[in-house]
Amino acid sequence: MKRFFQKTCIVLLSGLLALSVWQCEMGASADVAPGATGVGGSMARFAITDNTLYIVTRQSLDVYDISSPSEPVRKGKAELGLGIETIFPYQKNLFVGANDGMYIFDNRQPQSPVLLSKYTHVMSCDPVVVQGTYAYVTLRGGVGCRMWQPQSTLDVVDVSNPSSPRMLNSQQLLSPYGLGVDGNKLFVCEGDKGLKVFDISSPTVPIQIQFLTEVPAYDVIPYRNTLIVTGNKGLYQYRYDGTQTGTSLELLSKIPVE
Amino acid sequence: MKLSVYTLLMALSITACNTTFDETPPGPQFDGTAYRPVYATSQEIKNIQSLPARALKKPGKIYLLGSFLFINEMGAGVHIINNSDPKNPENLAFVSIPANYDIAVKGNWLYADNGTDLVVFDISNPREVRLARRIEKAIPLNKYPPFQNTYFECVDDTKGVVVSWEKVTVSARPSCYR
Repeated sequence: MKRFFQKTCIVLLSGLLALSVWQCEMGASADVAPGATGVGGSMARFAITDNTLYIVTRQSLDVYDISSPSEPVRKGKAELGLGIETIFPYQKNLFVGANDGMYIFDNRQPQSPVLLSKYTHVMSCDPVVVQGTYAYVTLRGGVGCRMWQPQSTLDVVDVSNPSSPRMLNSQQLLSPYGLGVDGNKLFVCEGDKGLKVFDISSPTVPIQIQFLTEVPAYDVIPYRNTLIVTGNKGLYQYRYDGTQTGTSLELLSKIPVE
Repeated sequence: MKLSVYTLLMALSITACNTTFDETPPGPQFDGTAYRPVYATSQEIKNIQSLPARALKKPGKIYLLGSFLFINEMGAGVHIINNSDPKNPENLAFVSIPANYDIAVKGNWLYADNGTDLVVFDISNPREVRLARRIEKAIPLNKYPPFQNTYFECVDDTKGVVVSWEKVTVSARPSCYR
């Protein structure tokens, strides 16, 4: 009987490999200006757009009116499946990442978001960042089906039609957490394994150009040529160039842990 | 017919994977470590304080607003950093918020989770942060650590509320994992 299930897991794995249906969570992006509301990292459960505070709990999207900032008023709640992890507002959409898929909401009415699509998959995932019509998704191998190698990937997803996201490219990662994108640079946290920099001059084909193995990385915010990296050795800041190719990170400062 | 057998196999395997592997444990690879819950009473968890700057220990999520950088100290609160010169970030202050993992900022207002409560702070003076509002039971508490592919000691509600998680060496594989 065990063998039967092992076989069926393999069938499942190969079927899904063939289908290549791995799209999931959405995280943060660099072109949200830290004006009045600022910008969070890609692992955020809290997000603010203008007068609206969004909180994803493990099973719902909660909406608060913060027109009067010290008096949040709950406006609504969308019950979602279990395992909600991240939220990322991008232009007219909210991207909510969950362990079993990605929810995309139409956000033109900020306090009554409308669910456009749910993209499901079998593996557990990490956040995504969006730039233009492309989403960059890191997917971490899950524990659900251990016959399955805990494979982690970086996927490029076409989100030009948020009602039907489409995977364009996929490559292997080690142990991804947060990520960030700005211009032609994509930054991917590999947890204790380090921080990776990809060139995305060709947006659908990220090419790894740097791997800082000595910088444990949990989440990043790239903003105006400064990359902020948080991880279990501390907070690192780097200068980057999102317009030139062939440039590498330059360390600006470090706040170590004690 | 072939197709329907295949579909049946797929359907079976989806339900089967989690439960039937008694020769290989279904959880992540066990490396001798696990996360252990740190408990507090419901009184202790509401003990919020505006404190002098302190060193980073377990930095978590980050939030940037203008020249201010906010760094979550996992399960413990928020570091406020003056980051107007990223070459010389200045650690200004710490807001002690038990069981805090998430933050967002608008203008002079900091929004944070404090266990199951949503709290709002006036941060116009980062060194004297003032609790402006508490919305109780706004956020259901997760009974697992903020990491995946890891083992953890199962939460025991009789011991209090979980404020944070510490990574410890354990001899036996705990039964909880995610």
